[in-house]
Amino acid sequence: MKEKEGIVDCPQQQVILYVEKEDGKYEPLQTGSYLTKNFLDDYQLKRRHLEESLKQKVQRGEASPVYYYMVLEDLTISELSARAGIRKGKVKKHLEARHFNAIPQETLQVYSDVFNITIQDMLNLLVQCPDDTVDTKTNS
Amino acid sequence: MSTIDYKHKMAAHCESGAVTSLLNNAGLEITEPLVFGISSGIFFGYFHKMRSFTFPTFIVRNRPGSIRSNLSKRLGIKFYTEQFRTPDEGMRRLDELLEKNIPVAVQVDFFYMDYLPEWERVHINVHFIVVVGKSGSKYIISDSYFPNLVELESTSLRKARFVGGNMSPKGFLFYPEFIPKEPDFKKAILKGAKKTCFNMLKIPMPFIGIKGIRMFAKKIPEWPSFARDIEHLSHEIMKINILLEDQGTGGAGFRFMYSSFLQQGSIILNKPDWGELSKEMMEIGDGWREISLFASRIGKNRELGPERLKELGTMLYGRAEVEERFFRRLKNSLN
Repeated sequence: MKEKEGIVDCPQQQVILYVEKEDGKYEPLQTGSYLTKNFLDDYQLKRRHLEESLKQKVQRGEASPVYYYMVLEDLTISELSARAGIRKGKVKKHLEARHFNAIPQETLQVYSDVFNITIQDMLNLLVQCPDDTVDTKTNS
Repeated sequence: MSTIDYKHKMAAHCESGAVTSLLNNAGLEITEPLVFGISSGIFFGYFHKMRSFTFPTFIVRNRPGSIRSNLSKRLGIKFYTEQFRTPDEGMRRLDELLEKNIPVAVQVDFFYMDYLPEWERVHINVHFIVVVGKSGSKYIISDSYFPNLVELESTSLRKARFVGGNMSPKGFLFYPEFIPKEPDFKKAILKGAKKTCFNMLKIPMPFIGIKGIRMFAKKIPEWPSFARDIEHLSHEIMKINILLEDQGTGGAGFRFMYSSFLQQGSIILNKPDWGELSKEMMEIGDGWREISLFASRIGKNRELGPERLKELGTMLYGRAEVEERFFRRLKNSLN
């Protein structure tokens, strides 16, 4: 790639690309991320839609907040189980809305640490608001 | 505690970037492409189904950790490495090393790097950063993906170092302990290239190397069966671009870096044919870039029917062809 083809104006995310400089040498160029510049809006739109549909699922009692964050953070049941140190069978149970209320506080804390959120963030998902436009995830 | 006098530099990839920057700061002049090439960083692996991934995925670099270990073997550099049973022990050791003014690379889950924008952060346990100081409850971090030194809360660093799951870091840290005065770059470059050719051409597994690129091409039309809906599929298809260019596993970006390695190698080894190969590798990188831009476009436009995915597969078959020819030529140049 020629140097001029690699130049992208995107101060939000900088990357290093190895490009062909004018003298023919292949050297690093600090430039903006092409993907972030051109496709971030689409990513955010899809993310909002996913958050909305998951939230509705939680509020209809079809899934628990643990499921919400597991899907949102792109974790498999095995991976969540390994990260939380909780048996896979138990994690599966915790994904179901009907078992969520029985999860002990300490276990909720373990999940919150993995998801990098607060327990309150999980509980907030259960509260229905009439004009609920979904907030983006709050990190603790 | 104050910050160590440390020269921060962005890099194309976190592990080769962390290793290069530690070595540069310890006084060894070596570039990131040399580190990457000597350690046989270039690779390809396609994983259609894996317990720890929600979707099929691919990698375009060798196993995390092997950039350091291969470089160490081939240049005679000794790295101090350690893992820990408990977070307390691991954080204490880090503080002790910083007290001694030793910059330390640590393996972390990328997700907890709070200074990066939210859309970049994913759960992946094989990110490498260099810790260069501590100020109150915050650590000073040199991250190859960030333009300058940055602060990270101690609680986040602790979580990131001691997270569980696939390739859990267990607090892994390393720093160079011994650097030979005159490392044998010539021998190391040749060894690195030889192993790369082996990895790409000879590993007898259908999902690794050139065979892996072909498997990727063959399997991509099956991706819709893994997706929740069209937006999920679009997201995963667009991740091809992230994996190829933007972060973490590199790709087109790695091919560009490898061409720089070959160019530098041609001068060090006085091998003009490597100059030609480096140009060819640059063009191969351009081809991967076309794929990643195509994937982004069809992803954004939600043009994800069987025809489009087949087209993407055909482009990937094309990459497999040119890479196979390329690595055979590189292998022949070593004889």
